[in-house]
Amino acid sequence: MQGKKFIYFKILMIVINLIAVLFVTIFIYITTQKICNNFIAREFINTVDALPWKPFRNIIISACLFGMLIFSFIIREFIYPNNSRVVYLTLLIDFITSIITICILNFNYNGILFLVMANIVTYTKGTKARYLLMLISVMGILIADYEMISINFKLYSINDYISFYDSMTQQYLLGFYNTVVSTNILIFIIYCIYVIQNQRGTIDEVNNLYNQLRKANEDLQKANEQLKEYSKITEKMGETKERNRLAREIHDTIGHTLTGISAGIDACITMVEKSPEGTKKQLEIISRVTREGINEIRRSVNKLRPDAIERLNLESAIHQMIIEIELMTNTHIYFESDVKNLKFASDEEDAIYRVIQESLTNAIRHGKATQIWVHIKGGEGEIILTVKDNGIGCKDMKKGFGTIHIMERIKMLNGTVGFDGTDGFTVTARIPIRWGEEYD
Amino acid sequence: MNRIKYIIITIAVFVMLAVSAAAYINTNTKSIVLEFGMFAGSNWDVANANSYVIIDKAIERFEKKHKNVKIHYYSGILKDDYSEWFSKQVLLGKTPDVFMILSNDFNQFASLGVLKNLDELINNDKTFNKDKYFQTTLLAGEYHGIQYALPYEAVPTLMFVNKTLLEKEGIDVPSSGWTWGDLYEICKKVTKDINGDGILEQFGIYNYEWLDAVRTNGAVLFDENEMKIDLSDEKVVEAVKFIKMLYDLNQEQNVMKEDFDSGNVVFMPLSFADYRTYKTYPYKIMKYLNFQWDCITFPAGKDGGNISGVNTLLMGISSKTAHEELAWEFLKLLTYDEEIQMDIFRYSQGASVLKNVAGSQKAELILQEDMEESEKVIDNVLLSRVIEEGTVAPKILKYNEAITIANNGIQEIIRYDKNVESSLKILERKINQYLKQ
Repeated sequence: MQGKKFIYFKILMIVINLIAVLFVTIFIYITTQKICNNFIAREFINTVDALPWKPFRNIIISACLFGMLIFSFIIREFIYPNNSRVVYLTLLIDFITSIITICILNFNYNGILFLVMANIVTYTKGTKARYLLMLISVMGILIADYEMISINFKLYSINDYISFYDSMTQQYLLGFYNTVVSTNILIFIIYCIYVIQNQRGTIDEVNNLYNQLRKANEDLQKANEQLKEYSKITEKMGETKERNRLAREIHDTIGHTLTGISAGIDACITMVEKSPEGTKKQLEIISRVTREGINEIRRSVNKLRPDAIERLNLESAIHQMIIEIELMTNTHIYFESDVKNLKFASDEEDAIYRVIQESLTNAIRHGKATQIWVHIKGGEGEIILTVKDNGIGCKDMKKGFGTIHIMERIKMLNGTVGFDGTDGFTVTARIPIRWGEEYD
Repeated sequence: MNRIKYIIITIAVFVMLAVSAAAYINTNTKSIVLEFGMFAGSNWDVANANSYVIIDKAIERFEKKHKNVKIHYYSGILKDDYSEWFSKQVLLGKTPDVFMILSNDFNQFASLGVLKNLDELINNDKTFNKDKYFQTTLLAGEYHGIQYALPYEAVPTLMFVNKTLLEKEGIDVPSSGWTWGDLYEICKKVTKDINGDGILEQFGIYNYEWLDAVRTNGAVLFDENEMKIDLSDEKVVEAVKFIKMLYDLNQEQNVMKEDFDSGNVVFMPLSFADYRTYKTYPYKIMKYLNFQWDCITFPAGKDGGNISGVNTLLMGISSKTAHEELAWEFLKLLTYDEEIQMDIFRYSQGASVLKNVAGSQKAELILQEDMEESEKVIDNVLLSRVIEEGTVAPKILKYNEAITIANNGIQEIIRYDKNVESSLKILERKINQYLKQ
């Protein structure tokens, strides 16, 4: 908690206070003996206001009290240095012992309170009690002053005993005594300065760290903003890239095919009257190019298909979707297909996949369904897709976004779609399939 | 490490317990010794061969009643050494539990806090009634309104009269209600140059002090609260003027003790102790052989009465005594027990401080025992009255010093015929300055 220098300071203060306390008591005892031996006791009594009633007992008691002070110092510093309860208890003991000692010394020496104050300064750092304790000690030092108290109370004074000696000895005695008292105060002041400096060092360190932290925080915020900016740019760039790709794709496929077709038709227009045979040939070529063009477009569009179908075949993709939905919700989905090989043109596969996805979503979101049956049935040039659920259904069906989407998808493939909201909700879609046509 | 801590703390606690237990046992099992501080000889500066008799009797009675208590005193301390001896005990912290207090020491010790405040003990003791004491003697043990000591023995001052000389001059012994005027008249009559050599041989009064005059004129010299002397009071001025008148009768001739002893002076203030000593065998053969003498009251001034000064031997308890109850019991035995107080008439020279005892027939008999048949003994009514009406020295810390300064100043006023009023005012200022220091 604190450096070794603190302890040296305190030990030094304890030694000085011990010297002062013992000096006062022993000096008074010795002088009393001398006064008695010189037969001037009565005369001496005339000059004093009060007497230390038992000079010898005072030595013993003040020595014992000082022993307690040292004992509490050892407990606090060495045995339980980090136990705040012990610290406060021992500080209290210190305070009481020193007050008793000061009373026994009849306020001739109150420097012992500086020792208590030094301990309070060190041990009550940053607590509220500190200022109260400091106040009490300062008041103690102010009040426990001989000159102050002797106005109202009768106290014995060490000066009365010093004045027993001849003037030369008096000067030496007073000199020694005052030196001890001032040294005690001096050490206390140095100690306080040391503590204050130590604390200021800590404050500087904290301030430094705080500044560093603030700077780091600012940097971080800046970096964050830059990152946001950067991500916006990246997003835009991705969009642009996608657009460019689309544009290139369209240009490469539709543009190329349409240019070919238009050039072929132009040739046919000029040829049709001269050589119908040549025109027919030409039209066949155009037909082929057109079909190739369609394939090209299909391939391009393929690249923009949903992930699952792109990676897997339709059946696996549907299974995958169902597993994911079942995992995410409490709904059981039964999938059944009597078409052996669920492999269609990609726009058809897309439509089927999207219709199933949309229907499942609607059944769960609006119908609160717990069971959904998905059924694909093959027919003459078409498949019939039904998605039925056990949800709350819908009496008066409004065309929500989900159903519109389904209808649009099916319409694009010249199919039909029906909705029935009486018993749960049923979506029935007829999708024409271009069977037998070979693609890719 | 932890174990060491516990061991240290346990040892410390055990040491403390052991020390306090030892101290407790020590104070409880030992038989109690009560220290008594006293001096040998008389407080009244008269010879006394029986100084320990009363105390020894009291101790015997006390120890019989309290089996485990011993009372110890140092014998052989003379009155002149007592103050120093006692001060030494106080300084060393060995103040006796119960002790005699010299009147010169009382103010100092009371103010220092050596003496125990007895008010509480007095009030709590149902068997104790302080009205049994002469009011004056109780007052002697009071300091700033607190009873610090109880009286043990009282000695009033009386006026010594040379009956033979008065008879020769054809004057009657004054009655107990006589005045300054009577005194002055008698003095004027008897002051004479008998053999015609131009020097006076016969005088009216010797050793009559201005303080005697002040007291009998009803003046209060000191303000105890303000620590001030009042010399400019009309009554004081009158008293000093009266002393000057008496002095002027002697035509600047000094009256000596020898003049009185050889029977040439009519009046002299004398303590009751002196009276008793020189009225009884064997001391009566040493002094005042060639004339008949007796004691009467002091003459009263215009505004006062026939009041005597009363000197009291006080006893107190140490404020630091460990045996308050026992000390109080012993103090009570010495000062309040009628049998012991009766012994004061028997073995000492003073008077008892208890009204019952001093006024009793038995006391008068004891006094009579020692005297010759022909001698008239001071009657108890007068003795009681003198003590009860008397005054005691004021409770001023520097009383003795202040009075010494006043004595010298007033002597100068009388000797050098200074203006009394203005000189007293100057003197008053000087003394008050000294008291303030």
